[in-house]
Amino acid sequence: MVLTENNNFIFRLKGVLEFSCQLDSSNEAHGQNAISKAFRVLRSRISSESLVFMVCNSPILLWPNKSCHSTVESLSERTPCRDVQQHIDLEDGPNRKSSKRRDKKDASPITVNLKLLMEVTESGSGGALSLCRVTKKQQCVMMPLCMDCVINAGGHDTLGFVCSGLVAALHAQLSDMEQTVLKYRKDKSLPLPEPFHFQLPASDRLFTVIYPAAVTDDQLLSVREELHRKHDLPRDRPYFRRANAFHFPGEPYKDGYLRSPHTHLNAPSIEDAKLYVVRGVYSYHHYMQDRVDDNGWGCAYRSLQTICSWFQQQGYTERTVPTHKQIQQALVDVGDKEPSFLGSRQWIGSIEVQAVLNQLLGVNSKILFVSRGSELASKGRELANHFQTEGTPIMIGGGVLAHTILGVAWSETSGQIRFLILDPHYTGGEDIQTITDKGWCGWKGPEFWDQNAYYNLCLPQTPKII
Amino acid sequence: MGRGYIVEECVEKYLTNLSAAAGSCETGLFIGQCSAQRDFVVLAVRTPHRETEGAAESQRTLSSLDNIDVEWVAEHARQVSRMLPGGLSVLGLFLIAPPEVSKEAQNTLKKLVFSVDKSISKSKLWDLSEDDVTERITLHICSKTRKAVCKTFDVKDPKCSAKPADWRYQSGISSSWPLITCSVQLDLQIPVTSENVDESIKDGLRMWAKQIEAALCLINGKAVTDDSELLLGPKKSTKASQQQTVQAQLLILTEDADAGQMSSAVVQECSGSVCVRGAVHCRAYIHTNKPKTRHAAQAIKRDVVNTVFSRVEMLLEDLLMSEAADLACGQQDLPRRVFAPLSGSGLSVCDYIFPDESTADVAERFKEMLGCDLSEGDVDTSMEAQTCFSVLGVEDGCDEEATQVPTQSSAETVPKKNAAIQYAAGMAVAAAVALLATATSLLYLTE
Repeated sequence: MVLTENNNFIFRLKGVLEFSCQLDSSNEAHGQNAISKAFRVLRSRISSESLVFMVCNSPILLWPNKSCHSTVESLSERTPCRDVQQHIDLEDGPNRKSSKRRDKKDASPITVNLKLLMEVTESGSGGALSLCRVTKKQQCVMMPLCMDCVINAGGHDTLGFVCSGLVAALHAQLSDMEQTVLKYRKDKSLPLPEPFHFQLPASDRLFTVIYPAAVTDDQLLSVREELHRKHDLPRDRPYFRRANAFHFPGEPYKDGYLRSPHTHLNAPSIEDAKLYVVRGVYSYHHYMQDRVDDNGWGCAYRSLQTICSWFQQQGYTERTVPTHKQIQQALVDVGDKEPSFLGSRQWIGSIEVQAVLNQLLGVNSKILFVSRGSELASKGRELANHFQTEGTPIMIGGGVLAHTILGVAWSETSGQIRFLILDPHYTGGEDIQTITDKGWCGWKGPEFWDQNAYYNLCLPQTPKII
Repeated sequence: MGRGYIVEECVEKYLTNLSAAAGSCETGLFIGQCSAQRDFVVLAVRTPHRETEGAAESQRTLSSLDNIDVEWVAEHARQVSRMLPGGLSVLGLFLIAPPEVSKEAQNTLKKLVFSVDKSISKSKLWDLSEDDVTERITLHICSKTRKAVCKTFDVKDPKCSAKPADWRYQSGISSSWPLITCSVQLDLQIPVTSENVDESIKDGLRMWAKQIEAALCLINGKAVTDDSELLLGPKKSTKASQQQTVQAQLLILTEDADAGQMSSAVVQECSGSVCVRGAVHCRAYIHTNKPKTRHAAQAIKRDVVNTVFSRVEMLLEDLLMSEAADLACGQQDLPRRVFAPLSGSGLSVCDYIFPDESTADVAERFKEMLGCDLSEGDVDTSMEAQTCFSVLGVEDGCDEEATQVPTQSSAETVPKKNAAIQYAAGMAVAAAVALLATATSLLYLTE
């Protein structure tokens, strides 16, 4: 048991600190001082004995600045932090299921969520209550600072280590926020500093960056260039856009679409075969979603939506996934279709998908043509190459059907191939069990294709941006 | 089937003695605790006689219901409310009246119940929860026959009619009620955004009160859950044993649902700020009839909010009395909370003492307002410190204008005066306020 035990933890602390300062109307230097002073006040609160961490779904409360005093007797400063886990109540079903699955194969860290609290009661008697009035014309500036700190820990690390680590992270985050606020403030307008966590390639560690709200990713290019330099990351793809932020396991996606359903599948067993699959995260778009009845005509639209969601979630675009109507409008705008096309139920093909990607996202696509479905079995090298270099989902249209290819399992020696297919013709609810069990997302052999029909594949190419 | 009331036996004695003076009307308050099943009445106190210029107390006996001063009764209830720790409140009213006016008695009591409720509510920063009992008890006693009629009115419903209630005497009901206690630290910076400083302060305190209301409460170190019992161990032994003291802790949850929608800080023009800082000692009592920890948490939280708001209100009223036009700049002491035992009950009541007042003044007020016979030595002034932080000294960034203002305590702003005069003056202002309120409502009516 000890060998299979997962020993990586992420402790994540969230909470709001209320920032408040008085700005003088005239004096610029005073403004900067007042802001820094307000942050100093917050930092002193973080250092005080009143600071409390609550472990979510557990009876555990910790006083990190009181030698990790806890409400659970068995926990002390020296307790290994993994012991916290046994006090956490995983009441809801999906959570339990995923933790079971994790035991088997997943080595990704276990997230322990904590909330920030402030105790207002005290044991010693403080000074008597007094009231003090200051009269001076000024602006009162207030904003909630949404603190969000993470630290990685091994299961053997002590609770004391975790607590002091989180306190240090809070301090560091406040300092980063102060810098961001001072840098991006325009006179009295202070941007809300927002923390984002990023997982760097080939690392479990999370790296936190503060971005000012309402400043777009495009405007923050120079900040990202600096980050890429600092972490020695390639400059051909986004790593630090807001959309690239780490998604914590178990945190729900608010839009309701399923993410990357293929990650729930087992790989096919083919001798010598290697897997070449889509990079990153996408959402599954299929028939009947968004209260649009497109059963029988909308499959290519849905496949296109899945591709757009990939570009959005990889940070290439801030544009949201286009609706059927927006897709049709784009095709009219580029002159591909007559205005009568708007609101119609006409289906579209790979060439239209290519045109819309270019029109709406500025993404170029290669078109791969096969005159017979049987030929697809021999396209292993091209497809493998595409997933290695571009990693985007491929839309394939043939006859009246459109599908999305998410990857291939291909053996260079034998030429054997399986296709990882996401089927937009699914009309049911967002139930991962049904979708994977019934093959709406699944591995298919070459016989899956209509051997005699011709096919067009649209292979979107990633722009080289950060 | 009406509400059940368990009433302390000494209340019966008190009422019997009062009704002995036949031929005149007397009003007064019932004080105690509500619970889901039944209410507990621990104290009855008659309305003190109003001192008005030129009229001696003895001449002003009330002979008819028309002479009952509704505003006066309501003001008394408001003052009494301030003197009650958490868990205790004004539960209702009694009226002793001669038989010839007994027909109108019910209407008079209803009117009194509603004005008392209104008067108390305006000094509350918290909202009633669904669990809160809104029925108020009234007892109408015939001064001749000593016959008592017990009815309740629902203050939630102005059109309500009187409902019967069950009134039973019992001795020593509150002698072993556990005491919940804590000390709360405040450090509030309130921007003054409106012309009216008082309103800004109240708004700031209201926001703070919301935080306290939503705070996580620990009772003896354990988080309060929906149905954990406050009293552990076999029930019989706890009842027999002496009073327990329970320590409460309050932890403010720092979640903000709106934060997601904002992109920049909120900027408000303000004419300055008011800082409320220091520690307050808080107390609450809970009955022993299977109380839950959440009831204890609610009672202590309400005491935290009430004690702070009462003091600020008192300071502002004090300024109004001394004809200072506005809250002065600089630091001012808020009155300290003192406690005194409520004889024969195991409970304590409280009052607030300004720096220029003595414990004798306080003892006198306990007598006047609550009918407590206390010596100076009974007044416990030890719960709260006398010294306060120097707010201005701590604040390094305080601007020059403000630091030049000398630190004032109310001892300097309000000249020393004896308690009786102050009391009378306080009442006179209260009356003036009431008059003003009447005038305003008349204005509305004529429009």
